[in-house]
Amino acid sequence: MGPYKRKNVFWTIGLVLLLAVFSFLVDWHASPLEQDSQGLNVPGWVPLSSFWNEFDYHLGLDLKGGTHLVYQTDTSDIDSRDRESAVEGVRDVIERRVNAFGVSEPVVQTNEVDGEYRIIVELAGVSDVNQAITMIGETPLLEFKQQNPEYSEQIELTPEQQQEMDEYNKQVELKAIDINNRALAGEDFDVLAREFSEDPGSKDKGGDLGWTSRGVFVPEFDRVLFEDLDVGQITPAPIKTQFGYHIIKKIDERQAVDTVDFEDLNDLEIGEDNNKSEVLENAIDNQEPNMEVWSKHILIATKSEVDFAPIVDQWENTALSGKHLERAYVEYDQTTGDPEVSLEFNDEGAELFEQITADNIGKPVAIFLDQYPISVPNVREKITGGRAVITGRFNLTEAKELVQRLNAGALPVPIEIISQQTVGPTLGKVSVNKSIFAGLIGLAAVALFMILYYRLPGLLSVLALSIYTVVVLMVFKLLPVTLTLAGVAGFILSIGMAVDANVLIFERLKEELRSGREFSGAVEEGFKRAWTSIRDSNISTLLTCAILIWFGSSIIKGFAITLAIGVLISMFSAIIITRSFLRVLNADKVNKHRWLVGRSLKH
Amino acid sequence: MINIIQKRNIFFTISGILVIASIVSLLVWGLNLGIDFTGGSLLEISFSENRPESTAVLDALSEVDLGEIRLQPTGFSEYIIRTRDLSEEEHQQVLAGLREVFQSQDLVENRFESIGPVIGQELQQKAIIAIAIALIVIILYIAYTFRKVSKPVASWKYGISAIIALGHDILIVTGIFALLGYLFEVEVGILFVTALLTVLGYSVNDTIVVFDRVRENLIYRPKDTFVDTINHSVNETITRSINTSLTTLLVLLSLYFLGGTTIKEFVLVLILGTVFGTYSSIFIASPLLVVWNQLKKKS
Repeated sequence: MGPYKRKNVFWTIGLVLLLAVFSFLVDWHASPLEQDSQGLNVPGWVPLSSFWNEFDYHLGLDLKGGTHLVYQTDTSDIDSRDRESAVEGVRDVIERRVNAFGVSEPVVQTNEVDGEYRIIVELAGVSDVNQAITMIGETPLLEFKQQNPEYSEQIELTPEQQQEMDEYNKQVELKAIDINNRALAGEDFDVLAREFSEDPGSKDKGGDLGWTSRGVFVPEFDRVLFEDLDVGQITPAPIKTQFGYHIIKKIDERQAVDTVDFEDLNDLEIGEDNNKSEVLENAIDNQEPNMEVWSKHILIATKSEVDFAPIVDQWENTALSGKHLERAYVEYDQTTGDPEVSLEFNDEGAELFEQITADNIGKPVAIFLDQYPISVPNVREKITGGRAVITGRFNLTEAKELVQRLNAGALPVPIEIISQQTVGPTLGKVSVNKSIFAGLIGLAAVALFMILYYRLPGLLSVLALSIYTVVVLMVFKLLPVTLTLAGVAGFILSIGMAVDANVLIFERLKEELRSGREFSGAVEEGFKRAWTSIRDSNISTLLTCAILIWFGSSIIKGFAITLAIGVLISMFSAIIITRSFLRVLNADKVNKHRWLVGRSLKH
Repeated sequence: MINIIQKRNIFFTISGILVIASIVSLLVWGLNLGIDFTGGSLLEISFSENRPESTAVLDALSEVDLGEIRLQPTGFSEYIIRTRDLSEEEHQQVLAGLREVFQSQDLVENRFESIGPVIGQELQQKAIIAIAIALIVIILYIAYTFRKVSKPVASWKYGISAIIALGHDILIVTGIFALLGYLFEVEVGILFVTALLTVLGYSVNDTIVVFDRVRENLIYRPKDTFVDTINHSVNETITRSINTSLTTLLVLLSLYFLGGTTIKEFVLVLILGTVFGTYSSIFIASPLLVVWNQLKKKS
């Protein structure tokens, strides 16, 4: 650090003070910790006070409380032995998701009630809750299923079931014939429909089906409606379809209101001497005639095999699921160039996948995303190495989006939010207030010590440290960083380190002065010597923080982030702020009044 | 000037005893793991009239021997109470105890469920790996940045000495908490882990400052013997070490004695860590360098 220009020092100090004032204004507003207390507000006479009052501290659950959400997990598809581990997987995924930036510090825990598994998610601050609920809701549900051996396309009924079904349907037919006759006899169709029809879509409207064209209903229905019945006629006998027996009444019919496709219009050639409207008319005439019918019906439903046999799902869950997903990435198919999504499993998942593919050679295995089969490849051979590929009609954007969603964490089981309530701080308001008070007293004691021991430089360092504190709090507010007790610990530690940096500089300064140097030279030399200590000790702390941020989660990560921010800003504070303050002192005056710098330097 | 190096065996002995005592303490009693690690029960109760202060509820609950209790007000007049796993008998005792204290109110139990740990298994493993890597990285960094003073002691040995001092600090603090857990049923949770990490950062920081002075003296005063250099360095940095830890302790002691009850355990870890961290930087880490040197000479 070579000779400096005094002018530059003044500029630096000016900027620093500006930063300090800005930070102080940002820091000022603190919303009350709970309803009846006051909180701090920027008074009206300060310019832009309403702007400053918008900034708020994000306090964690232990300091301020927040919201308590309960999610129900649906473990019905999971084998009971695997349930607990699946729910643990959900817990981990949700925590990862909600804590994406490492500063939300949620509390996520599993919860068991009468064999039902739930997840409790507690989040600080109410404003973040809706965002968190959305984030949790967007968590993809990834399941891997194989064919259920109990499923078959044909449902076979036992002879008793078959007989029961036939008898039931016979009764239905008789009932339908009876109603049909009543309608033919003149009873009000609407009334009959409301009373007997088993078609939920139309019964309350008197069986009214509105205007329809061919193809809307099943062929048997259409045939009767369009070909057999005249307007106003009721079917002489009930018509049987797959749904049951229908009594149909044709109310009216008409030619369809013609529409011409604009696209077809473009194809028409309009020559110079052709009249446009003529061409249009011709186009319309050349279209197929389109009939529409207005009808009503009464349905008496029959039973089919499905009603007797339990519905067996085609697919059954395997133990492999979203919680085994290590990561997902986009790849391109080598032949077609289409984007596909590659899934990489963790060790446990790779083993499971190998087993599943070995068991299902020649059969399809389904990958379900959000309970919808997204890919159903046939297994050709046992796959080791734990990689699966989802091919499908993705475009690149869809593939990237899917990869992003999966990488943030994929759930192994579906979840549903069942309750939401606010909670107060775990530390208790009394405790928090006392601690704030105690902290302030501690800091005051430190300031006193610094001034008494290091005198004038000590006073300057107190000033520098105040600026440091104010700036760090501003960064916490703006980022934002959710402050929990752990985060506050990181902050206190970093203040300790900031003080340390100042102490290092001052001790060096005193040494240089003792060895006979004059003040301004001592400042520069002291600084130079102290800098290596400050740099090395702080860098080792930063390295530790980096690793904790990378690997850790929730509280550990939050703590590491606050500490890292604190350390970085403290380095800045020592290099720029303290040094500038020291430099700005009038060297001659200090040299004359050595006592300003320390007792031992009186002579 | 205090001749720390000559008297190093005294300090090694003291530390040795403390470390062994801590290890024994941990093996015999273990740490009393709190509900963050073990999970437990969740009880939500509803008061019919005004919700009493949390201190009042905690007092009422202290009748039943519950260990760590976490209390959260919720909604308008409810409390969520988290404790370790309660047997049905204990569950009823708690309700009875509360009802007796708050006789004028109608207490309704909204839910009583079991809850899992807040720290997942996966996270626990990751945390341990992370710390192990952090230690290795620190050794590497120190080895790199002290490369210029590889004589007479290789620079990576500085790193190892720092880590040994750090290990010493953490072991002793943890050992003390195992003892406290046994004697006073003090429980450890996530905050404890966080506080330990704070100690980790602090101790390394402290040690490096002393080593930096050693480095500087080795370069600028090559004529002194290694032992003298270290002695000088430590003496020169003592003031600074003590001042720094003093200022930190001022705040911590203030928090411990004047602050709220719920953070006492957390602050205690920090206090112990600061004290031992400073002690180890001065009396353990630097003398260790001399030991390395002598070992090298003998071989």
